[in-house]
Amino acid sequence: MSRSYDRALTVFSPDGHLFQVEYAAEAVRKGTCAVGVRGKDVVVLGVEKKSILQLQDPRTVRKVAMLDDHICLAFAGLTADGRVLIDKARIECQSHRLTVEDPVTVEYITRHIAGIQQRYTQSGGVRPFGISTLIVGFDPHDKAPRLYQTEPSGIYSAWKANAIGRSSKTVREFLEKNHKDDLSREESIKLTVKSLLEVVQTGAKNIEISVMESYGKITNLELPEIEAIVADIEREKEAEAERKRSRLAATAAGQAAMSQRAADAGQGSGQ
Amino acid sequence: MSIMELNGGSVIAMVGKDCVAIAADMRLGNQALGISSKFERIFPVTDRIYLGLPGLATDVATLRERFRFRVNMYTIKEEREIQPETFAHLVSSTLYEHRFGPYFIEPVMAGISKTPSGAVKPFIAATDLIGCLNFAKDFVVAGTASTKLYGVAEGLWEPDLEPEDLFETISQTLLNATDRDAFSGWGCIVHIITKDKVVTRTLKGRMD
Amino acid sequence: METSFALTGKGYVIVAADTTSARSIVKMKVDEDKIKTLSPHLLMAYSGEPGDTVQFAEYVERNIRLYQIRNIYPLRPSAAASWIRRSLAESLRSRKPYSVNLLLGGYDTATFDPHLYWIDYLGTISEVPFAAHGYGAYFALSLLDRYHDPSASLEEGLATLKRCIDEVSKRLVVSPGKYKVKIVDKDGVREVEL
Repeated sequence: MSRSYDRALTVFSPDGHLFQVEYAAEAVRKGTCAVGVRGKDVVVLGVEKKSILQLQDPRTVRKVAMLDDHICLAFAGLTADGRVLIDKARIECQSHRLTVEDPVTVEYITRHIAGIQQRYTQSGGVRPFGISTLIVGFDPHDKAPRLYQTEPSGIYSAWKANAIGRSSKTVREFLEKNHKDDLSREESIKLTVKSLLEVVQTGAKNIEISVMESYGKITNLELPEIEAIVADIEREKEAEAERKRSRLAATAAGQAAMSQRAADAGQGSGQ
Repeated sequence: MSIMELNGGSVIAMVGKDCVAIAADMRLGNQALGISSKFERIFPVTDRIYLGLPGLATDVATLRERFRFRVNMYTIKEEREIQPETFAHLVSSTLYEHRFGPYFIEPVMAGISKTPSGAVKPFIAATDLIGCLNFAKDFVVAGTASTKLYGVAEGLWEPDLEPEDLFETISQTLLNATDRDAFSGWGCIVHIITKDKVVTRTLKGRMD
Repeated sequence: METSFALTGKGYVIVAADTTSARSIVKMKVDEDKIKTLSPHLLMAYSGEPGDTVQFAEYVERNIRLYQIRNIYPLRPSAAASWIRRSLAESLRSRKPYSVNLLLGGYDTATFDPHLYWIDYLGTISEVPFAAHGYGAYFALSLLDRYHDPSASLEEGLATLKRCIDEVSKRLVVSPGKYKVKIVDKDGVREVEL
């Protein structure tokens, strides 16, 4: 008879925690970083790619998936769980079109995905999905870009810019400092790359960028394009550092001059 | 109009000396209207077994898929090729599974089996649409021209025909029987199976 | 009555279907599009029981699209045809079968050749050089036997199609008025005015 009690993996701890869900969130924190930035009329997804092995085919390792013509999803956490969730979402996208002759809205599919994630925290014999997702896209007949996040617990929320996965806290803080409303396409891409560079040491070859500009218009940036942006950012940083150095030098010189003068004045008064 | 005669088509198989032959017409029709003259209703099961599926054309495709699946599963699990006798029983049981909502097909099969001593033995069989097996020593027929095929085959077949003579016999039997049947014809395909090779020939027939 | 034709030529398939939708003896609509574009190089003309037709066509359309999103590449015509046939065959032995007849025309971008499949509501499938459904088939098929050329240019193909349509208009008591004609070739799908 005890079977009917211990079937569920996710049960409350005495102090009100769902440990399995918290462990799932831990799996997300170990996953590669993904960033989403919403601009004026563009939305950008950037992900950190694990460096692939020498003999591996890079095309088979993808972290950004198309759910429908107008919606993209990036995830952080267990890749295997991601695949299952993506497949469920893709089926829902087509099923929605079939039943009501309309494409899904970004909010709808986010809610659907979050709903699935929640269900897996409350049913018997299953474990939660070890992934967080960033969902971007455009609603049909609407020009506003959208960005949503879902978590293993089933929480979902809308964002101007956000990061999930490894060091997401650092990246989010960076975004909070640097995000402005109404970013242009170039600015959005640049901010995405810049924020990813906070955690990706290896540079352009480990970054993947997808840009969605309007309903159904998705472009994946090629490596040379990303390299150019990274180089641009490096140059800016270099210039910034240079300015800082010269400013420091100027201050140091000023201070030196000042203390010299003070010393001179001291000598003068002693006489 | 019987559902067995909706699409038309006939198959015949014959035993020869250390060889067997199986042949079918190539017409696909919708009652009297011809749709295709390149419709295949005989399929290889192994290198030495061929299966003919006259009857309702949708079930030709469905059963072909089912038998391919079941034979593949057999080959993988048993790690050996299926023998004609075993395959005949597989066909029979597959059809009987649908005893009260059958596939409208009367399969005909032909193959060469190996005896334990290593000699070869020609094998033919046919079943009705619910899987009642008929192991014949001479020939088996099925399809819309079956009655005509019986008559011609009865007259032309003789024991221990060599492969080339068997080819001539089965071809003449099928061609002449299908000429008397409005729902069969439009070209034929003949497979002659011997112990180490299969010869396949297509025949032209009357196009009316 | 409902009629659809299709024929292959040198690197293309032409699919044509009448545009009337009728309820008993009444024409309800004269500009119905009964040819769906399933993927960039795949066309499907459907006819049969009203209600079943659109329902089944949309079901197929969404599944073919789902396959493409899942696998990046779309199904090739032969694979799509097999899947659709199987759907109909499974439906046939269900409680409420779809009664839908199809002509599936596609251009295989891997082997660079056109394919045409004749499929009926029972799940009967046959790859053919030309095909027709409905009462028009009785007139069109014999014409196509005489005039069809698998290596004909697009203009010649359309001329042959015109012959079929004219013959049906001339001889069939309940002939449809207008047809929608679509072509699929290496450049994808397009509609043409006859």
